[in-house]
Amino acid sequence: MLVLFETAAGYAIFKVLDESKLQQVDSLYKEFETPEKANKVVKLKHFEKFQDTTEALAAATALTEGKIGKSLKKVLKKVVAKEAHEQLAISDAKLGGVIKEKLDLSCVHSPAVAELMRCIRSQMETLITGLPPKEISAMSLGLAHSLSRYKLKFSPDKVDTMIVQAISLLDDLDKELNNYIMRCREWYGWHFPELGKVVTDNLAYCKAARKIGDRTNVATTDLSDLLPEEVEAEVKLAAEISMGTEVSEQDIGNIGHLCDQVIEISEYRSQLYDYLKNRMMAIAPNLTVMVGELVGARLISHAGSLLNLAKHPASTVQILGAEKALFRALKTRKDTPKYGLIYHASLVGQTTAKNKGKISRMLAAKASLAIRYDALGEDTNAEMGAENRAKLEARLRQLEEKGIRRISGTGKAMAKTDKYQHKSEVRMYDPSADSTIPSTSKKRKFEEVEEEDEEETPTTPAVKSKKAKKEAAAAAEGEEEEAAETDETPKKKKKKKKDKKAAEEEEAMEEEQEEAPVTESEKKKKKKKKKAKEEEEDE
Amino acid sequence: MRPGFSPRGGRGGFGDRGGRGRGGFGDRGGRGGFGDRGRGGFRGGRGGFRSPDGGGFRGRGGGRGAPRGRGGRGGFGAGKKVLVEPHRHEGVFICRGKEDALVTKNMVVGESVYGEKRINVEEGEAKIEYRAWNPFRSKLAAAILGGVDQIHIKPGAKVMYLGAASGTTVSHVSDIVGPEGLVYAVEFSHRSGRDLLNVAKKRTNIIPIIEDARHPHKYRMLVGMVDVIFADVAQPDQTRIVALNAHNFLKNGGHFVISIKANCIDSTAAPEAVFAAEVKKMGAENMKPQEQLTLEPYERDHAVVVGVYRPAPKKK
Repeated sequence: MLVLFETAAGYAIFKVLDESKLQQVDSLYKEFETPEKANKVVKLKHFEKFQDTTEALAAATALTEGKIGKSLKKVLKKVVAKEAHEQLAISDAKLGGVIKEKLDLSCVHSPAVAELMRCIRSQMETLITGLPPKEISAMSLGLAHSLSRYKLKFSPDKVDTMIVQAISLLDDLDKELNNYIMRCREWYGWHFPELGKVVTDNLAYCKAARKIGDRTNVATTDLSDLLPEEVEAEVKLAAEISMGTEVSEQDIGNIGHLCDQVIEISEYRSQLYDYLKNRMMAIAPNLTVMVGELVGARLISHAGSLLNLAKHPASTVQILGAEKALFRALKTRKDTPKYGLIYHASLVGQTTAKNKGKISRMLAAKASLAIRYDALGEDTNAEMGAENRAKLEARLRQLEEKGIRRISGTGKAMAKTDKYQHKSEVRMYDPSADSTIPSTSKKRKFEEVEEEDEEETPTTPAVKSKKAKKEAAAAAEGEEEEAAETDETPKKKKKKKKDKKAAEEEEAMEEEQEEAPVTESEKKKKKKKKKAKEEEEDE
Repeated sequence: MRPGFSPRGGRGGFGDRGGRGRGGFGDRGGRGGFGDRGRGGFRGGRGGFRSPDGGGFRGRGGGRGAPRGRGGRGGFGAGKKVLVEPHRHEGVFICRGKEDALVTKNMVVGESVYGEKRINVEEGEAKIEYRAWNPFRSKLAAAILGGVDQIHIKPGAKVMYLGAASGTTVSHVSDIVGPEGLVYAVEFSHRSGRDLLNVAKKRTNIIPIIEDARHPHKYRMLVGMVDVIFADVAQPDQTRIVALNAHNFLKNGGHFVISIKANCIDSTAAPEAVFAAEVKKMGAENMKPQEQLTLEPYERDHAVVVGVYRPAPKKK
């Protein structure tokens, strides 16, 4: 059996002289206690030294990734291939698989092999002859440093810290810019206040202020490239009747400097935004296509890095940015927020309020897939993002049309509607206001019965009496007061309105339909009294 | 076996700013403080603020910085007479003065790694420099001051340090093992790895490894057999991590020193239960714990377990 042992100085291939010793795994270490004993168990067959640190670095990185580097391939072909019948013992099972695949050498990795590796490592310096004693440690120090440096410098293109920094800078710039613009308006406003009212756009204001300087120059300055014509005319007009103070050259000079700063920062901000767009497209194209650059950058910045963002489940991506609301809702057992930073994505923005929650969830799910593809996938194209976005837009259209077809599940199934419950919305005519002549008892009874029937149909006795009271009170106060009674159901309101307007014929029909349940005689009496009162008041 | 002095430890952060070659820390504190003030919205007057508040600010920055170093400014003024004597553990020293401190002999004379206090002592003709070791920042120092029986890290030893972070404690371990020993410092984070790399540049007995300690086979090319494994990784599966590394790199009869943070393993269980569970897990991996102590008063709910790996079978 051959053993492949990697060191910082090079690859060592040992031959196991006494394979029977490998059977007793636990006492193997005894055989390696002294160099002499060790030499009896294994012998160095070949040592392939690394030519320089670059080769060593390449070999080390290949080892970290579990791949076969060039030098390893060379060694294996040269030495082991000749003795193909022998098995090769290696420390990494994954590497063994790759070797078997590429070079067709049978590899073995087992607890016995692991123990053997330990023992060889303990006697590393004595077993590998031909190396000065301190060389291995010196080589490993050098190799470790170059390997670490390589790791830390790795791949400037895929680095998402640029995004995080750029978006933070964008926010900072916005705040600063806002402060400066307000200060500029305030300051210049002492001299020419009307300009502030006429010119609403901030950047145009600063440019105009810079160009005008002292307002006595307005007539001579040409603002056509900054402002539209009407505005320019207004400005010129306002300058003549301005009530601002006079200022000296120095003051105007300083204000001018401030305006310059504002203009410069605005330009830089737009440049930065372009830069951010480029970086986002380069680093996370699928995410950019799905939610846009700004939202994508904010998500990455919130999570810390693209990889961190990829580790979050889709439900987290949905509410990233709404943590305060989330934990407050969780603590007080209320409803959790439906969207966080993702609210500002265009897909969520263009839906109606009712559907925002649904779209936010769907978008978060697909965006999460896009993020993982960007962070961990190897291709850098935006196909997947575009596909997902198209799917989402289709679903959005379905939602808006309130399609009766289900969105998920079998497409052919119809959406379930609520169970049909007959809610009678029949309006009744209330004839109590018809005649001022006190009606006969017979008529009253007739009306009472109708009223009772109306009231009975949907409600329980307890509520009925309340409603009767309400009706009475409402009728007394008049229709204008109806709105104030919040307990009143809409259908009752309708009934009352209709009562006062509609014809008696409807009443008659209604009566026929609703010859219904028995009412209590007490209630009848109460209602009778109330009706009497009503009619009296109406008169 | 408690050393009989008040465990102030290396609380020095800002002792003598004047005589310090690397006064950077003070400035950093000051500037950091300024940054906070700026964020508070004093943007307009920033230019004006700088000069008059410079001196005052440094004090304030210092005040804010000191809690980081977890200490006051007391201790060792320049030129005060102090006595340095060896600790029971080889390679570690105690500095006796107005307050006592744990110190190690500085391998790179004239430089502070993380802004700690340096003490210069003359012994005959030789001038020796010692660096103060802060037990609030370093678990190993806290364990030593807590009275651990054996740390097994001694001059000439080969140590594997898992969870090296920015290299603050690693530098002290490097001081202890001296130029004959080796420290393999494993750290996964890139940010901290950068700082670790800078520390390793100056100290040639530190070998920096920027890798996940969960996969020791990935750095097998760089590491030989070690005598001690020190682990301060703060991961829920840290026992498994240490075991994997031990199986690969720790010699038979080698020792391990593991710092356990109860909150990190299981924040709902009682700390004692967590420590007991960890000790049990170690037993299953052929790691025999020999002592355990908590790191009160320097850390809360922390414990250090020292043990031996694959001890030589006792001859009957």
